[in-house]
Amino acid sequence: MLRLMPRPRLHERLAVALLAAAALILSGVAGCSRRAVPVVEVGAESVPGLIEVELRGHGAVPGKVLDEEEVQDDLYGDALSPEWDIEFQVDPADEAATLLQLRARPDVVWAEPVTQLHALWLPNDPDFAKQWHLKAAGAPQAWDATRGRGVTVAVIDTGIYPVDDLDPARIVPGRNFVKRREERASPATGEGRKAAALDDDARDDHGHGTHVAGTIAQSTGNGKGVAGMAPDARLMPVKVLSAFGGGTSHDIAEGIRWAVDHGARVLNLSLGGGGRSLAMESAVAYARRRGAVVVCAAGNSGGRGVSYPAAYEGAFAVSAVGPAGAAAPYTSYGPEVQIAAPGGDKSLGEEAGVLQQTLAEGSTTESAYRWFQGTSMATPHVAGAAALVMSLGVSAPAAVERLLTSTARKPGTYGSGAEVEASSEKYGAGLLDAAAAVRTETVWWALWRLAFAAVGAVFALKHARSLGQIKANEKPRALFWAGLGLGAGALTLLAPLGAERLGVLSVLALPPSAMAARFLGLPGTSALATAAGYLGWSALVPLLLALPARMAARPLQSVFGALVAGLAFGWAGLLLHAALWRTVALPWMPAALMPFWLLAGAVVAWVAGRGLLAREKLR
Amino acid sequence: MKILGTVEYRDLEGGVWQLAADDGKRYTLLGARTELRAAKGQRVEVEGQVDEGFGVSMSGPQLRIDRLRKL
Repeated sequence: MLRLMPRPRLHERLAVALLAAAALILSGVAGCSRRAVPVVEVGAESVPGLIEVELRGHGAVPGKVLDEEEVQDDLYGDALSPEWDIEFQVDPADEAATLLQLRARPDVVWAEPVTQLHALWLPNDPDFAKQWHLKAAGAPQAWDATRGRGVTVAVIDTGIYPVDDLDPARIVPGRNFVKRREERASPATGEGRKAAALDDDARDDHGHGTHVAGTIAQSTGNGKGVAGMAPDARLMPVKVLSAFGGGTSHDIAEGIRWAVDHGARVLNLSLGGGGRSLAMESAVAYARRRGAVVVCAAGNSGGRGVSYPAAYEGAFAVSAVGPAGAAAPYTSYGPEVQIAAPGGDKSLGEEAGVLQQTLAEGSTTESAYRWFQGTSMATPHVAGAAALVMSLGVSAPAAVERLLTSTARKPGTYGSGAEVEASSEKYGAGLLDAAAAVRTETVWWALWRLAFAAVGAVFALKHARSLGQIKANEKPRALFWAGLGLGAGALTLLAPLGAERLGVLSVLALPPSAMAARFLGLPGTSALATAAGYLGWSALVPLLLALPARMAARPLQSVFGALVAGLAFGWAGLLLHAALWRTVALPWMPAALMPFWLLAGAVVAWVAGRGLLAREKLR
Repeated sequence: MKILGTVEYRDLEGGVWQLAADDGKRYTLLGARTELRAAKGQRVEVEGQVDEGFGVSMSGPQLRIDRLRKL
């Protein structure tokens, strides 16, 4: 009995956590659909007279859907241009009648009142409403599940100025590659040592890099200014462009390598040029090999021909669209374009640009909120979205890119024949939708993992029964299935409930392998993070737990045994999904070997679970 | 090298100065910001170095200004 002494304390704690989580799962499933299902009473938080409509096909014109006199306010200027998804302010008294009228129309997919729960967490930054581009990129709905915690995004640009709407605690040490070059060009001072000490001063003296950094991770929910795509991500300033916005391929290549070596998992390169550089090309390949997503601006030529580094193999090239989702007039395009994102189109007016805080015009110390346009502005929307999906546990750059492209919204302007080809060169896979990418990860992937785990468990239970190791009528306890859900990372189904609502439980709304990294706040490439990665993506945890669990006479009837057996099958499902979807990259592990490592882990985890049910030697 | 053309300001990437050159090309101008502001819309002769340079503009070759003269 002595050896069983610590057991009650352990399962008491686990059981409480699991039961609470399991109860929340049910409501989590309800909250995860695209149209957020109000958890509180409808109407209680709905905005009077505000309705949202999705139209069939991108070419539809909202003006034909709703007579202009009924529309009191066209919030995003949608009525001027073809859109899918439009919001109108109508007279609250006519709201119900208008909704009925809209729903009856064949060109309307759905129409419904907008509630505050549309996105659960709406930031209180006063000018957030003007950031049509964050909404177009799907940021608000994605924030309910994640805000990018634990991921470092390198801004390889003109530097980052510590403006007051950027949280200094989220800016990690960076590097200045320009100053060193300038010192070398005029060496007369003999203050080389001092210059070297200044190398880590990567402050912006142009304004471009700070604007880009703002789109990625502007302080959000701080009651000030504007918001950013992945506000909890860390920013790494890497200054490779001068005060005039120009730089050399050598500095950029060095900046890429330095950022990756110092823990950046997403690189934002809102820069480009026409010259092919082997140094930069190999730096991009290096970054990707080391597990970083390299997001690059397609260029601003307004014509066919993507600039470098976006055109290199391994880069994720981004073209720019305006508020209506149509390609911006300045954007470069070509077969290398992978995805389109909002970059602004100021030919439609100043407020059709991208709004962030940066340096005031002509100043190197004063800050201002400014509207910029360019493929440089589109790129950080994608980099921010990459940080969001990576914070939920995807670490293979190719998987991040696949997730973003496969969930991108298809531009409805696609015609036929040559026109389609021209369009795919302009939009790549389509328009970035961060919310859809995050939803795929938290909901669909969790269901796949659960399905794999359940199939494995049912098979093992059947086998154990046929061996007579468990009685024919013996059913696994609820804790077996709870353990299975936990092991399979099914609690990500809770993520759409939002961190605010989940509190401490929000850390459970992650695949187990991502929990360690989030819990310990580990930067991407530290030795501890690497160890946690290998530990999480192997069968070690269920295996170690299975050893003491085997001491129970009938594991399915013991609290700890049932939990661990379920956990082992869940873990097998988790690893199998990661192997098949190729979502994981680990430092030092060749990409080709990764699926085999995960498959082996899945087999070991399954055997560990089966070993608890049927304890005779496997033949 | 010396290039003749007209100084233009484009509202791109927070603002870039370009030279619509007589040779039909469009160069992004680096440096001499104060002089460029004063020469907006005017014909100039720019002395400097052309590269395929990397930068924020991403719309054609770059011209680093050594000297700028209004015509």
